[in-house]
Amino acid sequence: MGGRIRTQLLKGTTTLLVLTVLRDGELYGYEIAQRISERSSGAFAPSEGSLYPALHALEADGALQASWRESDRGPRRRYYKITKTGLGMLEEHANEWATFSRGMARAVGGTNQQ
Amino acid sequence: MIALLPVIVILGSGVAFLIASVALVRRSERRLSTGPDEPGSSVAPGQTGAPEISAYLDRMTAELRLPAADVAEVRAELADHLRDSIASLEAEGFETERAIREALGRLGPPAELGRQLRVAHQSTRRLLAGAGGGVFAAGGGFVLGYLGGIVLAMLGFLAVSALVALLAAVGVHLPGIFGDDDGATVNSLLYATTILVATAVATRYAVRTSAGLSRRAPRTVAVFWAVAGALVFGWLAIFEMRGPQSWPSVGLELCIPVVAVAAAFVRIERPMPHVGRWAVVVSVVSLVVLVLGVYAVNVSVSSTSGSAPLSSLVVCSAPDQSTSCQPDFHLETVAPMAPAAWLPEGFPMNGGSNSFGASGASIDDQFGSGQSALSVAAILSNWTDVRFEAWHALPMNEPGPGGIDTRYSSPFAVQPAVSSGSHLTAVFHFERLRDASPWWVVLTAVGPDGHRYLLDGGQGGSSDFNGSAWDWLTAPQ
Repeated sequence: MGGRIRTQLLKGTTTLLVLTVLRDGELYGYEIAQRISERSSGAFAPSEGSLYPALHALEADGALQASWRESDRGPRRRYYKITKTGLGMLEEHANEWATFSRGMARAVGGTNQQ
Repeated sequence: MIALLPVIVILGSGVAFLIASVALVRRSERRLSTGPDEPGSSVAPGQTGAPEISAYLDRMTAELRLPAADVAEVRAELADHLRDSIASLEAEGFETERAIREALGRLGPPAELGRQLRVAHQSTRRLLAGAGGGVFAAGGGFVLGYLGGIVLAMLGFLAVSALVALLAAVGVHLPGIFGDDDGATVNSLLYATTILVATAVATRYAVRTSAGLSRRAPRTVAVFWAVAGALVFGWLAIFEMRGPQSWPSVGLELCIPVVAVAAAFVRIERPMPHVGRWAVVVSVVSLVVLVLGVYAVNVSVSSTSGSAPLSSLVVCSAPDQSTSCQPDFHLETVAPMAPAAWLPEGFPMNGGSNSFGASGASIDDQFGSGQSALSVAAILSNWTDVRFEAWHALPMNEPGPGGIDTRYSSPFAVQPAVSSGSHLTAVFHFERLRDASPWWVVLTAVGPDGHRYLLDGGQGGSSDFNGSAWDWLTAPQ
């Protein structure tokens, strides 16, 4: 039951999570999934099936730039880098999330702070 | 220098437009084909490890329907991901087979993943870029195809001419298919061939460029461009391309929309041939040599043979027994000569003239005696139904005086003569009649006895059909 709720909560937040971890530097797909999981101490782990469509959609929108490069271990990998458009999108999504989470905390906590 | 400024600006803009469109096409071509810099080679099915992984990627790829480079990238990326994921699971203690199943399960159903990736790639922004880029590339392709078409058409013309000359040298004479001898039909054939090539290149440029920019498989966008190309170029070919026409040229023009459709589909997955710098230089030099060669041949031919201008054709009047009436123009085919007794003194006419243009062949006869003009109303008071008749004529370039072609027993066009002072005029639109050339126009009228007589032996000429393919197809015989 808890996993299902978490999945529902994660829906729509993949973009925010991806942009957030890429703000710190270039990463490839598997690393992005790992980094999200690490940063949230395992609380968030976006579905791998939805990660790549999200990455490619962000690239199509100009929020990310992808390039193939040799990696430290193994073959060439597709690295993603956040663009100026992506930084703007991140700020917008982060503000929306902050507003949403504050409202949700107030509603769930039962307080009525102004 | 200032006077040349507009020309320089126009030429510069044209060259910049061509360079930009070729650059756009090349960029799109890179997206549509996996080159040496693409990662596709690292993701061949046999190199992705277990057959389950290859099968998963194949099912996912089948749903992508993206250009080749995108498919290769997606496969490579997911293969890398699976490799990392499996290695991580094995480190956690999973057996290899279970690790593979677990890793594949985390990616979800392959068809759904492929569908989501396709949606992600084929954004509305890219669709609009593809549509705009396709139109832009089509414009550049049309210009380049037009230039290439000129070279091809000229080469084809020279090859056919050489073949005909060769056959004639060995005694084989091919039947004439053009119906006239002034080269107008050949020109229209060359022009139609040029547009044909330009249409093919433009449509192909549009499909390949829009596919690359919109991240769609060429065959997917080909449907749109086939319809658009057939409509636009079909309209251009059938209704807007005006000039001398014949069945061969009309046939070629009707092929243009078909060529647009074929160019959009036939082997559209194959990359456009790379046109190198030397190919362009050789084409331009060939074109210049060809044009100079044809010009030299024309000058040579026109200096050794001439044709009589139309104005020198004899105007023969019924009662006129001068030497100018001696040639037999077969005028008896039309009607008997008008008896001199029924015409007042002062007849015949001072002369006739004709002039030709896109608006028709204008026939003008002037009545007079010596230098004084006579009133048409006074001369023809006893005559009714005065009209000009256009008859098929014998070819002008053949030996003999020419005149009316006796195989015909009736005129192919008739116009009432409009009187104005001492003039009778009529306008014939031979340029909108098929097979009207060469023609011979005479003046006839119904005499006091109720029979039709020939008043003026008339004049002959030739004029090409001038109009669109549609005008040709709908023209009266």
